[in-house]
Amino acid sequence: MNFDEAIRLTEILVGFAFIQQSFEHIKSFSNEKIIFFSRLTLSIVLVTGFYTSWVLILLFILSLVMLNRFQGPYNGGADRMSLLILICLLLTHLAPNQYWKEVAFGYLALQLVLSYFVSGWVKIVNPDWRSGRALRDVFEYSAYPVSQSLRAWAKSPRLLLIMSWLVMLFELIFPFTLFSEQTLIIALVVAAGFHFANACLFGLNRFFWIWIAAYPSIFWFQLRLSSIM
Amino acid sequence: MFRSLKLLLPAIVPSWNFFDVIAPSPRIQFSLLNTKNELVFDWTEFRPRLEHVSFKQMLLRVCWNPVWNESLFMVSCAERIMENPTEHSELEILNRIKRDLLNNPTVNPDLQLQFRLEVIERQNNKLIQTTCFHSRIVPLKFSEGSV
Repeated sequence: MNFDEAIRLTEILVGFAFIQQSFEHIKSFSNEKIIFFSRLTLSIVLVTGFYTSWVLILLFILSLVMLNRFQGPYNGGADRMSLLILICLLLTHLAPNQYWKEVAFGYLALQLVLSYFVSGWVKIVNPDWRSGRALRDVFEYSAYPVSQSLRAWAKSPRLLLIMSWLVMLFELIFPFTLFSEQTLIIALVVAAGFHFANACLFGLNRFFWIWIAAYPSIFWFQLRLSSIM
Repeated sequence: MFRSLKLLLPAIVPSWNFFDVIAPSPRIQFSLLNTKNELVFDWTEFRPRLEHVSFKQMLLRVCWNPVWNESLFMVSCAERIMENPTEHSELEILNRIKRDLLNNPTVNPDLQLQFRLEVIERQNNKLIQTTCFHSRIVPLKFSEGSV
């Protein structure tokens, strides 16, 4: 995947992710509807590829309006990743030359890698995660499990201990999968599966779509790294 | 401008510390009152979890999950209140409870509404539940010109 293809694919994927997010607000309050109808319209234009720089500028301004409206992100990390992708795409379009374009897009790839590695690191330094207690707490009393029946998973400490270590180890080894295209593809399939599981068990559906939207950047980044090394 | 930049910064330089610690978890409960001076004894959990969600429902929710995402936003507002109460977070929760209740034709719109935050956390291997916040008491009806 070359640079231009990766950029275009990211625009299409983030456009679809924004369309999905915007549709979820169609039955909301009138002031939210105005924001998200505008976002929906701009996202459709982004997918079609017309006036992309202007559309990205308008989507960025709209994101600032959203941040002010909700006094922060509406959907936590998913909104932060949405904004990060948007900013990197915008900088890629506005950059004066190819070098700075690649720096902007490379920053997105770097943050994607960090999103896994740092998540793994902050868990593994916590004794509660290493003992499986933290994941038990997630199922037992956090706000995330989508049903009461899922809370029963807290009564399977051995399973949750294994799951905790699988998640931590996968997140920590993620940067090393950049060494070859094949290992990166395997890692991204596993990562997408992880986000899908989070969408099913904890209702974090927006994370699934928006993280996938950032994957083209890392495909390009891996090829760029291989060409340098 | 400064405020927007402050809100924007965590997106430009994200911390990515998802679930680093399992923080105390808020639950939103509400009560409907006849008058503002009535004492509240009867609290109802707002949007209690379903007993079971089928795999098919889970798959559908990967594409369409507005109510759950709104509930997670309300949890964020509750966490913000636990950290530093603001009118914005309180009103976001009140307005969303109001809208849900007013969509129920059996609810009398002339009542008053209050919510409280219950916090569940682990202390010495035990789960403890405490009340940490009571909202103001407001009319259930939306005032004219509001969202």
